[in-house]
Amino acid sequence: MLGYVVRRIIFGVFVLAGTSLITFSLAFVVPGDPAVAMAGAKADPQTLSLIRSQLGLDQPIYVQYLRYLGRAIRGDLGRSYIRRENVTRLILERFPATLILAVTAMVLALVLALLMGVLSAAYHDRATDRLLLFVSLTLISLPVFWLGTVMLIGAAATLRSFPLGGFDGWRSLILPALTLALGLAGYYARILHTNLTEAMEQDYVRTARSKGLSWLGALFKHALANAVLPLVTLAGLDLAGLLSGVVLTETVFDWPGIGRLAFDAIFNLDIPLIMGTVLFAAFLIVVANLVVDLLYAWLDPRIALDKGQ
Amino acid sequence: MDRSSSRDRAKRELVPVQLLSIIFSVATILAWGCRSARPHATGGRSVLRLATRDDVPTLDPVAGYDTASWAFEQMLYDTLVRYSDSGVQLVPDAAVRWETSADARTFTFHLRRNIRFSNGRTVSSGDFKFEIERVLDPANNSQGIEYYRGIEGAPLYSSGRAKSVAGIKTPDPWTIIFQLASPDPIFLAKLAMPFAAAVPPEVVARYGKDFSRHAIGSGPFMLKEWKSGQRIVLVRNPYYFLPGLPRLDAVSEEIGVDDNLQWLKYETGEIDIASIPPAEFPWVMKTPRLKALVLSQVSLATSYLGMNCQIPPFTDVRVRRAFNYAINKDKLVAVFNHRGVPASTILPPGLPGYDPSIRGYPYDPRKARQLLEQAGIPKDFAPQLWIRADETQMMLAQSIQQDLALVDVHLQLRPVAWPSLLQAIRQPGTVELVLSGWEADFPDPENFLEVLFARSQWGANNNSFYYNPHVDALLEKAALLTNLDERYKVYDQAQRMIINDAPWVLLYYPISYAIRQPWVHGYLLNPMRPARLERVWVDPH
Repeated sequence: MLGYVVRRIIFGVFVLAGTSLITFSLAFVVPGDPAVAMAGAKADPQTLSLIRSQLGLDQPIYVQYLRYLGRAIRGDLGRSYIRRENVTRLILERFPATLILAVTAMVLALVLALLMGVLSAAYHDRATDRLLLFVSLTLISLPVFWLGTVMLIGAAATLRSFPLGGFDGWRSLILPALTLALGLAGYYARILHTNLTEAMEQDYVRTARSKGLSWLGALFKHALANAVLPLVTLAGLDLAGLLSGVVLTETVFDWPGIGRLAFDAIFNLDIPLIMGTVLFAAFLIVVANLVVDLLYAWLDPRIALDKGQ
Repeated sequence: MDRSSSRDRAKRELVPVQLLSIIFSVATILAWGCRSARPHATGGRSVLRLATRDDVPTLDPVAGYDTASWAFEQMLYDTLVRYSDSGVQLVPDAAVRWETSADARTFTFHLRRNIRFSNGRTVSSGDFKFEIERVLDPANNSQGIEYYRGIEGAPLYSSGRAKSVAGIKTPDPWTIIFQLASPDPIFLAKLAMPFAAAVPPEVVARYGKDFSRHAIGSGPFMLKEWKSGQRIVLVRNPYYFLPGLPRLDAVSEEIGVDDNLQWLKYETGEIDIASIPPAEFPWVMKTPRLKALVLSQVSLATSYLGMNCQIPPFTDVRVRRAFNYAINKDKLVAVFNHRGVPASTILPPGLPGYDPSIRGYPYDPRKARQLLEQAGIPKDFAPQLWIRADETQMMLAQSIQQDLALVDVHLQLRPVAWPSLLQAIRQPGTVELVLSGWEADFPDPENFLEVLFARSQWGANNNSFYYNPHVDALLEKAALLTNLDERYKVYDQAQRMIINDAPWVLLYYPISYAIRQPWVHGYLLNPMRPARLERVWVDPH
């Protein structure tokens, strides 16, 4: 197990180095002059050349990349062109808001998915099942920006039940978390439904049932544990995606997280901040992948990581 | 799989119905319980609640050069002189009086003696000198550096060959003298920019590049809280030098709120001042209750369609003039609900040197077609218009596209992101047509004519790559004139020549709008700067 973890960490370092190289190269490919982005539309040529020299933009690209990499290894992702602040600090400052939103949304999604998935499996091929399948499909199909806007107008502006966006206590968390959770819940519920109905037809469930276990007992004691396993992988990776920033939800709900930070950075061509947020997202996904694999092995002892299976 | 009896089945079918009922009831109770009486309770204090889409990039005056930063910097800091609340006249701020030498090379300021930073320390002339030296220090990458290069000794200081700027003298804590290398009649206006505000050197030394997060100035407010991307809160500076001001106890601005969400918050009373989204604008102006609360101000700005004078066929003045005749500006401003005034001059109304006698080019598609034919433009001519990718710009571009189609010019629209557009228009031979605008940094014709049409600005702000040696000579002559009437006359000659050469189609002067709550008073829009808030007050509500 330890050998596997070490190998994965080394692999992760290469992935991050590759990501940094790609994002760094992209920054040079996209149109837009960082010096103009920093100096503004009105800067004169003298100011622009001064800024280029101060930022090292007049150096060869590989020199700029190696300098960036050297600093990134020490945790310094550079300074934002627009905000003139340390990128690492800006990301870490925004991360808690995204973390709270992502974890809440994921917990809500899993709870709703379990509820819908179990119910639809329990009433397989009946009206309830069809209704729940329809609901889950609807939830998957609803675009986040639409759902978020409807919630804002409905629950916040009309009913005045929730704050109109912002990050101000648990009440402000409910609508954005629900917006994110509903789509995921619909998706997970469908997967769970399929896995559960398949699992209920397996031999080990039949054996349990023949020994006198009730249908619901067999579902909860035997089928559910196996049906939930694929969700671990999905939820783990989705959580990493959510933690990397949920741009639309954060923008609609004025949520001060990483997604909005990245969106603003792209809009302003703030290259250090774009690279910082991308690298941070890559780091989260690498870590999440590792955690998911370890968790999978722990939940399913048949998987032996050291043998590369 | 075991299937239970029909009775059991019916029983099980009931479960989800009951469950859904319970969930619905809990949600209703929860929603009801969450009802807020009034968000952002002010606890009896007079707080102005604002919202903005853009995060405040910085509160360090050395770095800020955008509306969001300046809106707060002018609340936190004092400059020697500043603009009046609703106009562009210079009025005393930290300086109680000043003298300008006849040759406009020496400026002497006498400071008020009762100015203190919000930490209680008295402000001295050295604090102003310190900040301008920060701007001139290339290590700080300040965009304001270009405005103070004319101070004697500034280039030496910037290149590291002098320890201080020789042309800034502080004979005593209450006097500061600027000696310029050459005459600059608009130097006062440059000192009204937040770049030249007083900051305490000891606080800057303590926090270094993080000074922005610990901003301390001598303005009417001081920083209480700044959560990036979330909220910024200023409270009254107890040491502010004007008695009785500010009238507000605090200003709180929510960050990241787009125009539509701002509008919802305005409607629910969560914020006190809001911008008006384009979709709501007609309705607001038709509703007397709301219209009475609308504030408007023609900005010191000009929107234009720039034609690249170095790319054929726009090298031909007949083509450029044809475009001027072909575009219907009245229709254009109607497209975005008259939030602009049709333009006929480069210098907007309100700017010294504005000349209302210039009539510009009237809408005359027949004349436009004649000129295009004379220039030999074929009927399938399809130039590309670069625009910033946003809804309003697209609407304007489509209106122009329709107008030009009537004279057999088939405009291709190319919407691009703002940073990309900025880079493209600076590259020679790249952008043949661009929809853009210019806002004044200070109220002087130089800030438009020199910056936008001088040959020296190719690759920077002269994005139509216009060059006329006679215009350049006039601009050089005007820049050194200290007699303002004479100066404006020379600039007027230059402006007329440029309009005759037609590198731009002058489109409109934008009007800025905002809406206040009925309980907000004293809020004034400025044509050139963000609104000042020290004289604003809020009734109990």
